[in-house]
Amino acid sequence: MVGIHHAYGTTKVLNNISLTVPAGELVCLLGPSGCGKTTLLRIAAGLEQLQAGSVTIDETVIAEGAAQLPPEERRIGFMFQDYALFPHLSVLDNVIFGLFRQDRRTARARAMEMLDQVGMVQHAEKYPHMLSGGQQQRVALARALAPEPRLVLLDEPFSDLDTNMRARIRQQTLTVLKQNNVATLMVTHDPKEAMFMADRIKILGRGGKILQSGDSHEIYYHPNNEFVARLFGFMNTIKGTVQNAMVQTPFGPVPANGFADGEPAQVLIRPEGIVLSSGGQDGGESSGGIPVEVNSTHLLGHFSVASLKIAADRNGAQEFYVRVHKEFLPELAGRITARIDPEQSFVFADDATVPGEPMLDDLNILSPELKTLLSTGLEPQDKVQKQAEAAE
Amino acid sequence: MSELSKSFEMECEILDRDHQELMQQIDKIAAVIDGNDDGRCAKLTPEMIKFAKQHFTREEALLIKVGYPDVKKHAAHHQNLDHKMETILELAAMADENSLAGEKLKSALKFFLADDIIDADLDFKSFVKDRDI
Repeated sequence: MVGIHHAYGTTKVLNNISLTVPAGELVCLLGPSGCGKTTLLRIAAGLEQLQAGSVTIDETVIAEGAAQLPPEERRIGFMFQDYALFPHLSVLDNVIFGLFRQDRRTARARAMEMLDQVGMVQHAEKYPHMLSGGQQQRVALARALAPEPRLVLLDEPFSDLDTNMRARIRQQTLTVLKQNNVATLMVTHDPKEAMFMADRIKILGRGGKILQSGDSHEIYYHPNNEFVARLFGFMNTIKGTVQNAMVQTPFGPVPANGFADGEPAQVLIRPEGIVLSSGGQDGGESSGGIPVEVNSTHLLGHFSVASLKIAADRNGAQEFYVRVHKEFLPELAGRITARIDPEQSFVFADDATVPGEPMLDDLNILSPELKTLLSTGLEPQDKVQKQAEAAE
Repeated sequence: MSELSKSFEMECEILDRDHQELMQQIDKIAAVIDGNDDGRCAKLTPEMIKFAKQHFTREEALLIKVGYPDVKKHAAHHQNLDHKMETILELAAMADENSLAGEKLKSALKFFLADDIIDADLDFKSFVKDRDI
């Protein structure tokens, strides 16, 4: 897809999007609700009229200007969020449905082959209402892949599944997609899902602009702006001014390369980016840690979330949130120190609002809600936004 | 050796030649990973990265010459690829002994060429193709 622009009336939803999905690779569009990611899928599928740009599959231009191939001639498989199975057709007939160019016997054999790949052969004669959500998802995947598409589009394919089933189904889905060596474009608002599934993640911001592209390591450890960094969950935020290419924080100076002295800056630190130490004669101070007081700690399964304050900060102005592996029960009288892991902390300009990103403002408004979320598990920012929308 | 897809052509000989050369170097690294070539990723990949950096310099010079208005933005994009190139070199250092690193390298290289280099360059295709370069 090259130079895609799209607008609904005067509202611009996609702004100069270009992307390539190589065969056998999975590209994930990750962004908040309303950022245009589903519109992009619909343009690729031919369900939305292309307004500007071009869409090419292999060497065939399927949409450019007024010339637009109808959806059924694009050889694209589409899996919708609600699976869109036909309730009056059996599982087998749902998969056969897309094989209308083949004779019945060939189509049946191909459909059974795909049902076998997704582990649903034994349910071939059942109807959709007799299946669990995970089984329906697998049938929808078989139906999308049966016609041997050149591209598969997945629109929030796991969002209707419960947490345990989601983990299993997405692993199975990824395996089947890779076995079929098909190019896949998926959209999701769930950062963990994107990191699990994608060979390449593209972060789409409000206003339909790609803010960053990279693999999960690069997006998580080298976010190139505040929006991308916050997308992966709560961030401790320390505001300051750059002096001698450093921002002073209660944990010590943090390098601010590329910033001019006097420039306002903010240091964002992931909860796992504040590293606690205890014990020893100096309680960890020899390793550069700053003494802290732990206010509360909550076990949330395989990790704990603790809130803490800097011990020397008698006014107690700022509270920090830390994620600690396993259960964290500090000795009340013991000395605990904290230091910043440079890999999990990022410096951005303090006015680093990405154009058209109201979510950044929402976050500031929502600090009490964020604290509530912390006690339930440091969910990604999109859930914060959804709560805000619900509250409105 | 595979040819650059028509949809990736810039219709500018200098840039298309560079892109074609990058694709051939990447194809060769992929062939090593797949066991179809007896070269070494640890040697070929730094050569490819060196060529990519030379290409960025040539491209920026060309864009300045033809007066492309967003040349600074494109140069910044090239700078932002530093992390990706570092990651690619780290993977390449492991890829000859570690098949998982090899597969990751192959995927990273495909996206590096198609998505980071050529897709980004297509932004100025219409600007450069009509200029006499």
